[in-house]
Amino acid sequence: MSSFDVTVRSAGLRRRRIVQRVLAIVATLCALAAVTMLGIVIGSVAVKGGSSLSLDFFTKPRGLYGVPGGIADAIVGSALIVGIATLIAVPIGVLVAIYLSEFASKGIATFVRVVLDVMNGIPAIVVGIFVFGVLVTGRGQSALAGSCALSILMVPMIARATQEVLALVPGGLREASLALGVSRWRTVLGVVLPTVTGGIVTGTVLAVARVAGETAPLLFTSSIAANAVNLDVSQALPTIPVAIFVYSESADPHEQALAWTSALVLISFVLVSSVMARALSARSRRKLTGGH
Amino acid sequence: MKKTALLIAALTCATVSLAAAGVSGAASDGGSKATAGTLTGAGATFPFPLISKWIPAYDQASGTQVNYSPIGSGGGIAAITARTVDFGASDAPLSPDQFTACKGCVQIPWALSATAVIYNIPGAPQGLRLTPALIAQMYLGSVTKWNAPGIKKLNPGVNLPDLKITPVYRSDGSGTSYNFTDFLTKTSPTWKDKVGTGTSVSWPTGVGARGSAGVTGVVTRTDGGITYADVAYALTNKLKFARVQNQAKKFTLPGLRSINAAASSVGKVTGNGEISIVNPAKSQPLAYPISTFTYALAPTASPKADELRKFIYWAITSGQKFGPALLFAPLPKQVLAFDYKQIKKIQAST
Amino acid sequence: MTTTAHDQAPAGLEGGRLPWRVGDLVFYALTAAASLATVGLVVWLSYKVVAQASGAIQKFGLSFIWTVAWDPVKQNFGALDFIYGTALTAFIALLIATPVSIAIALFLTELTPRWIRGPVGTLVELLAAIPSVILGLWGILVFGPWIAQHLEPFLERRLGFIPIFSGDPSQAGMLPAALVLTLMIVPITSSLCRELFSRVPRDLSDGALALGATRWETIRGVSIPYAGPGIVAAVLLGLGRAFGEAIAVTQVIGAGSGFPTSLFEPADTLASRIASEYQGAVSGLQIDSILYLAAILLVISLITNVAAQAVVRRFERSRGKIA
Repeated sequence: MSSFDVTVRSAGLRRRRIVQRVLAIVATLCALAAVTMLGIVIGSVAVKGGSSLSLDFFTKPRGLYGVPGGIADAIVGSALIVGIATLIAVPIGVLVAIYLSEFASKGIATFVRVVLDVMNGIPAIVVGIFVFGVLVTGRGQSALAGSCALSILMVPMIARATQEVLALVPGGLREASLALGVSRWRTVLGVVLPTVTGGIVTGTVLAVARVAGETAPLLFTSSIAANAVNLDVSQALPTIPVAIFVYSESADPHEQALAWTSALVLISFVLVSSVMARALSARSRRKLTGGH
Repeated sequence: MKKTALLIAALTCATVSLAAAGVSGAASDGGSKATAGTLTGAGATFPFPLISKWIPAYDQASGTQVNYSPIGSGGGIAAITARTVDFGASDAPLSPDQFTACKGCVQIPWALSATAVIYNIPGAPQGLRLTPALIAQMYLGSVTKWNAPGIKKLNPGVNLPDLKITPVYRSDGSGTSYNFTDFLTKTSPTWKDKVGTGTSVSWPTGVGARGSAGVTGVVTRTDGGITYADVAYALTNKLKFARVQNQAKKFTLPGLRSINAAASSVGKVTGNGEISIVNPAKSQPLAYPISTFTYALAPTASPKADELRKFIYWAITSGQKFGPALLFAPLPKQVLAFDYKQIKKIQAST
Repeated sequence: MTTTAHDQAPAGLEGGRLPWRVGDLVFYALTAAASLATVGLVVWLSYKVVAQASGAIQKFGLSFIWTVAWDPVKQNFGALDFIYGTALTAFIALLIATPVSIAIALFLTELTPRWIRGPVGTLVELLAAIPSVILGLWGILVFGPWIAQHLEPFLERRLGFIPIFSGDPSQAGMLPAALVLTLMIVPITSSLCRELFSRVPRDLSDGALALGATRWETIRGVSIPYAGPGIVAAVLLGLGRAFGEAIAVTQVIGAGSGFPTSLFEPADTLASRIASEYQGAVSGLQIDSILYLAAILLVISLITNVAAQAVVRRFERSRGKIA
């Protein structure tokens, strides 16, 4: 710890108190500014998006030039792509976390954790380029390629969240099970994992909330799609973030309205999921650590 | 324990079967990118207003659903080269290198319109007079204010404010950029030297945006902005566009008559079908100098050859009736004759 | 506290590890395979991204990195314009975001009663949850116009003698991009700093207060030095985020090039140039050059990320925490 230097002089006390107060006000203002910016952004989306909400919006697919449409096809496409990405990422993320907490030696565990953190820091657009080079070149765009790209973004988040809750499991639980003669794998799957499902779900929901809004990887893997609700995942499907991206740059007020309303749908989904996940996480942590 | 294991097993099965369904779906189609009765295309934003009229009309006429993604001519060329789509669309003709890379593509001019020079000057009227030299200077950054003497001289009686000129250009690979820069290259030696012609160039100054929609969007929000886009975008968004001086020294607006005049100089179409009608000779005093054909790009060997031939044939014949309302002029006879021959080259792949 | 199964020999079996059953081996293999695949994927990704750029790397070599050019007509490409744009926007964003994040973190850990911390903290973190495409949408249609109509003229009037604040206002440019990046970095950095400050041992800060220091002096003299390296790591992570953001930046930065001296002017970052040109690049060399930009971006992100991790690990080791 660095040397702590405070001279107590009553003569300078008033000045120090003033400095203290000023800085406290500054800190409060900063926090207020952040919350205000959040309010402004969400407020804009809510007001501009809410004013053009209509049933058509949710039931019609993307329209043509000058013909207003909706985002029905984008909602379906996003749901499919994110859903498949989750199905890919959760097993892999959980397995990696189990490896790190149950099997890996300290050196290997550190190494894998470093790699996971590196993976977390790879820009989404670079992931998009990678998946484009591997899955799209020569084959064409597809929703599956988009899912693969999103799952690459999700795995480190799910692995880290799972690992954190696995670490909270009291060692005694494992020991008791092993002492009773239960094999390792049954211990992990049947004793340890069930206690941390809450944490895994939380991590997954947070990861889903994050990738639901990712645009860059989808630009490369699923951006040339039909104007209709389509369930075929071997083709490119329209998605909400790409729709927002395209409409946001338009001059047509109808398309701008579509952008705002799509943004409202997306942001509602993301915020509600995030808040729910945090509430769930707080609750399951309390359960695991005995109310601490 | 059993429950968790079952859950994991179920999840894995679900993933696998979903993926299998997707893959088998693609395999049973013989590698084509959509179910039968649909055509997927992508490319230029320039003809998108017209293609948007074609799609429902053709669906009614033939039952084939056409899907089109306006991602820019560059994107269209890339997509058809990679065979990601059934057809591409580009306002920029393919270069010899691009033809080689496309491995057997035909280029079919299927619509004819003009690039409008769109501006947003509060208080200024429609049809401001501009010369090619001035437009080049604006985009080169040597003329920076709307009340520059050169502009004022051309437009006596117009109250031009002391407002900065913001040139707006296409940041994506754009055939409209190609048309516009082609025009500037042929009319301004400085432009030809410094910048040149292309779907993507090194713009000396200004702000970029994606798509015809993007550039018109920026100009609507920027006082003093100027950009270039298919005239249909100017009409739909109620933007003002300029009278541009042609080689006969006349200032013309993009319109059916002026576009036809520009296209009337086209002789017999040969080779790859590349037709340039920018800056026509002074024998066409009515011509609008930034007119252009726009092309469909189709593979000579395609699993959808039949549908492609039918669609493109319909587009250049019955489809043309939707053009005039959007300022797309009808294709000249010699271009049609060329197109019929090109369409025949689209054959079914084995 | 982390315990792993293989560290603990259950009672009654001391002197040896638990025997492995067949199921255990299969399970171990499965988890090890998943980990191997993940590590392999990161390695493959790094290799592939650089390999895809090999056409341009062969043509231009390393000089691409310090060449100022992007001319698809003359087929001459260089990355320096975009490295400059990336560096400048990220630097400005960091300049604003770092003190603001520290201030917010301090606000949340020192200045508020416990019942406010939860909600306000959640609200700040929710800023991080806003998808970047929505921030970009808001940037194009709301924030950009406001900046052009109010902020930039104000800066020009008051600080116009400084080159970076001179020039004509523009809705799209480096300033809107930097400010949008700030909005993205602040929640990340502030929540990390908040964790750091909450871990400052109570007895240290209480001791300082007992000696008569004010709250601020305690923070300055105890909390910040204690959390110092962690703050550096948090800043580095925020920086990594700023470098890699493509979508929101490309929506508001105006796709310019060159070396604009004023923040009001359009520019481009590595990520935003890739996003705007990749789909429509038609010459092989242009595509390869864009991929070269991606490789450079990947390298920069990796360096920043690994540096942040190294700082964290040294920091935690010196605090006696288990790595």
